[in-house]
Amino acid sequence: MKHWNALAAIAVAVACLSTPAHADKLDDIISSGTLRCAVVLDFPPMGSRDADNNPIGFDVDYCNDLAKALGVTAEIVETPFPERIPALMSGQVDVGVASTSDTLERAKTVGFSVPYFAFEMVVTASDKSGIKSFDDMKGKTVGATAGTFEAIALEKQVTEWGAGEFRPYQTQADVFLALSQGQLDATVSTSTVAQANVKTGNYPGIAVVGKAPFDIDYVALFTNRDEYGFINYLNLFVNQQVRTGRYAELFEKWVGGEVPSLTVPNAYR
Amino acid sequence: MFDTALTSSDFLFLARGAGMTLLVTAISVVLGTCLGIACGIFRFQVGPWWAAPMTFLLDIFRSIPLLIQLVLVNAFLGMVLKLKISGFSVACGVLTLYTAAYCAEIVRGAIEAVPGTTRRAARSLGLTWWQDMTSIVLPLATRVALPSWIGLALGVMKDSALVYIVQVTELLKATQILITRLQEPLLLLMICGLFYFVISFPLARLGGYLERRWSND
Repeated sequence: MKHWNALAAIAVAVACLSTPAHADKLDDIISSGTLRCAVVLDFPPMGSRDADNNPIGFDVDYCNDLAKALGVTAEIVETPFPERIPALMSGQVDVGVASTSDTLERAKTVGFSVPYFAFEMVVTASDKSGIKSFDDMKGKTVGATAGTFEAIALEKQVTEWGAGEFRPYQTQADVFLALSQGQLDATVSTSTVAQANVKTGNYPGIAVVGKAPFDIDYVALFTNRDEYGFINYLNLFVNQQVRTGRYAELFEKWVGGEVPSLTVPNAYR
Repeated sequence: MFDTALTSSDFLFLARGAGMTLLVTAISVVLGTCLGIACGIFRFQVGPWWAAPMTFLLDIFRSIPLLIQLVLVNAFLGMVLKLKISGFSVACGVLTLYTAAYCAEIVRGAIEAVPGTTRRAARSLGLTWWQDMTSIVLPLATRVALPSWIGLALGVMKDSALVYIVQVTELLKATQILITRLQEPLLLLMICGLFYFVISFPLARLGGYLERRWSND
């Protein structure tokens, strides 16, 4: 009888050990005092390093804001693009603040928040060309980095217009150089790339003139897909960032230009 | 070629990385050697049959690539056991076991190299097992083990470059961070190689010196 009691006691002890009182991820982060964010640090202006090799960028600031809201300290975990989801799945990070497009394929693995940033396509034109909007490009010489999404869309558009010329280039830098030297009248690229290149001052005589009506690349925060409590928190956090003007402030600080809308017309979420 | 954006603070950053490499290596080699000596002696004393479970365990650490060990141990501790252990501790732990696995074999081989006749002579003179081990086996076996051990220590130092995978910014990772920012891979890798050389060269020379000093007989 005594043995049975001892065995039962051991069984209870083992059961207690194997199923710890369930606290969700939100609780875990708050009680641990650190928020570990996966951030891509070779993707300026979203993430890069300053002259002292400290992480900087839109995503870094966004992670710090999130940590501040949670009342914890942020830990930036440098994560290359292909490692973002594996880093979350292997428990190295709590949340991804890594300019991750919210594709349905990825949503099978991780849980996305509402979009916190949008990569819009913009038109950058040389001052001499007189181009002031996307439609002004009709009949002009335009170009983009070969093989990219915007190059394919732009080439298709030029064929549709039936006027003008499309020129593919090897690198993004070549495109802006050609634009600055007057070989091109305009190009289409993501707003972050365009603003960053215009800001460098290496390409005089060019300016971002307007939006291109191409698909917008919405990016979202992500965490484990079963952590509804935390995903709810992230959604509200993104909303608060927009509401308080912090989103616009960060956009002005890191990108500049017109702040992209994070909502899709005629759709929920 | 000499037109570079590298600043003195970047050098400091690299030096801190080198410091991390040294720290991880020092901890792993010291702890791993102690553990390896214990395992090696145990293996020799109880014979291959009884030591088989331990040998098997150490063989696992010897035969699985270090990178995979680091990723798996880190994931196991973090996901399965839900422990919040720093990458530094994981790196030191895994490298220690890795060092111990190799060191155990070196120690066993060195002890076996001490002639049985010498040891029996010592015991017949009335020396205890402990006295035999410290006064007879230790000096003779150390001479045999030293070259392999120096090789092991240098190997572990270079293998420690893999601990970047558990978020430890050691020398190679620091170099990669600078390469991403400055886009000067060749210069930076040369500097990184130089750092590794500066760290390993004294150890290699120390080994050579001790070998010469001890082999006068």
